Amino acid sequence: MNRSVRSVQLGSSPLLASKTPVWRSKLIVAAIAVGFMGLIGRAAYVQVIENDFFKRQGEVRFARTLVLPANRGRILDRNGMLLASSVPAPSIWANPEDMERDPAKLRQLAKLLEMSPAELDKKLQNEDKTFVWLRRQLDEPVAREILALDIKGVYSIKEYKRLYPEGEAAAHIVGFTNVEDQGQEGVELVFQKALSGKPGSRRVIKDRLGRVVEAVGEAVPPEDGQDIQLSIDSKVQFFAYQKLREAVLEHKARAGSVVVLDAHSGEVLALANYPSYSPSKRVNLSGEQLRNRALTDTFEPGSTMKPFPVALALEKRLVKPETPVQTAPGRITITGSTITDAHPHGVLSVSEVIQKSSNVGTVKMAMQMEPRELWEMYSAVGFGQKPQIPFPGVVSGRLRPYKTWRPIEQATMSYGYGISGSLFQVARAYTVFARDGEIVPATMLKTDQQVQGVRVFSAENARAVRKMLAMAAAPGGTAPKAQTIGYSVGGKTGTAHKQEGKGYAGKKYRGFFVGMAPIEQPRIVVAVMIDEPSNGRYYGGDVAAPVFSTTVQQTLRLLGVQPDLSVKPQVVAKAVEESF
Amino acid sequence: MTRLSVLLLLVVVASALALVHSQYESRRLFMALEAERKEATRLEVEHDRLQVERRAQATPLRVEQIARQQLQMRMVSPAITQYVNAPQGTGKVEARP
Repeated sequence: MNRSVRSVQLGSSPLLASKTPVWRSKLIVAAIAVGFMGLIGRAAYVQVIENDFFKRQGEVRFARTLVLPANRGRILDRNGMLLASSVPAPSIWANPEDMERDPAKLRQLAKLLEMSPAELDKKLQNEDKTFVWLRRQLDEPVAREILALDIKGVYSIKEYKRLYPEGEAAAHIVGFTNVEDQGQEGVELVFQKALSGKPGSRRVIKDRLGRVVEAVGEAVPPEDGQDIQLSIDSKVQFFAYQKLREAVLEHKARAGSVVVLDAHSGEVLALANYPSYSPSKRVNLSGEQLRNRALTDTFEPGSTMKPFPVALALEKRLVKPETPVQTAPGRITITGSTITDAHPHGVLSVSEVIQKSSNVGTVKMAMQMEPRELWEMYSAVGFGQKPQIPFPGVVSGRLRPYKTWRPIEQATMSYGYGISGSLFQVARAYTVFARDGEIVPATMLKTDQQVQGVRVFSAENARAVRKMLAMAAAPGGTAPKAQTIGYSVGGKTGTAHKQEGKGYAGKKYRGFFVGMAPIEQPRIVVAVMIDEPSNGRYYGGDVAAPVFSTTVQQTLRLLGVQPDLSVKPQVVAKAVEESF
Repeated sequence: MTRLSVLLLLVVVASALALVHSQYESRRLFMALEAERKEATRLEVEHDRLQVERRAQATPLRVEQIARQQLQMRMVSPAITQYVNAPQGTGKVEARP
């Protein structure tokens, strides 16, 4: 055995010893050459001829374009307090087709999603589907817990949710966004474009595990949305809303609005409506709650209109504040229609006409002027004009062209019937008295620039009207309840019959109060409207003036305005020195 | 000649390996950078969220409720306020004990 193995020597292998034909080796060389030629050809094809195609195909397999989402801008109040901001709120979705269905885990999942297991089952019923939202915009910690359950087929998507810390107090101004982060109402809608920004993108190379390993080319950085700073003061806004709500509830009214304007700059410091809604819980919202009444509802302003024709009469030198006007016997007939006063007065001075809110006295003055003159003045203070603030549903009210006025209409307009506007328009119109005869454009955005006003009345006449307004808000006037501690106020009440269909509703009223403070150098203009007070009292002086009073008090204090009336101090000086 | 070739071959191989290594290293560093960036965004977002939360805790409604109910405070009015005029030019009032 051993021997036989040794006997076959390599050098003398019979196989090698045999002569091979030359063609065989040539054939092999040729075959290898052909093989190499094939490879070279293929290489040339891949690297040179169809290079672009292959490069593209390669990239498709490992390069990805990532969208870099832009953050939605925040909405701030005038002091930089947040009114709206976005926070991440992951949405949870499931793929029912291949989902792990462990009953214990599903029960836990249902609990975290705040739904009953039956509800969850229903969502996951259809096993043909590959995508089902389980819940959108959860709080991040909850979402993390859900993912920690580690259920196969349950995933999360990064989404953002808007938070509104001020809640219902500022809801009508700020508005809200929908689940897709698109503004739906208020400032969120108006400034949608500026707030939303532009998403960016970048190309990256991902490895097998989905990790980003390399960036390709330049990234397009996202442009974050701009922050919008409003002129609203969140504290003033809150107080105004709170007082308004109390008044609406107390007087069993249908609704109410309040507008606070900065008399210097025309900035809106607060604008609140009741009923309101909570922007974060928007279920079963009614139009009543959603409506920004102060801007979108027009009504006949009633007696709050009277100072305007009176101011024009002063301006045209037809009367002086102390000129006597005969208002007895409390009615006046114009082309067959009779206008009456609620309480008949005798001879009143022009100032007293405003103080006592006499329709007859106002009409007598208004009838001495041309319709065109009145129309020009009403237009100049903003009636019939759309307020220059960008807001959805802002209305212009109604002021008919003077050529179509009949004498009776000219008369009724002077005490606020047959002309309409929003509470916002009325408030802005009053800035004409607050600013010594100039009217400024109102704005919702914070401005630092000095605003240029348009002169409507002379400073002297505006001051004269302010004095009348102060009388109206003093004892003996129509609204002594407008008085507030420490600050002198002035303003005009209004109690208007509500229009229903073609006529006036018998027992439905709106109570108003529009005024300003401090009366010598007004800093703010406040307008209050209470819609259908039905708890006995309905006069503007009873229902709206108290809201004005408390709002003025808080607003001036927050603005740091020093009281201009001497106040009996209630600070009791103690003999004992306090230690700090 | 052969020696030079072998040497060059070794150099080529070495440089190729160095290239592979540096490519690997660059990807590793890039990944680390990515992770840090992600963390930075996460922290930024968290910061925003906390800011909102802080704000929500300090809304006038909440402040007023706590002040009135828990701390038994009441609104200030001019009647219980002492107004002090700052001397012209200084712009601030000195606090005195």
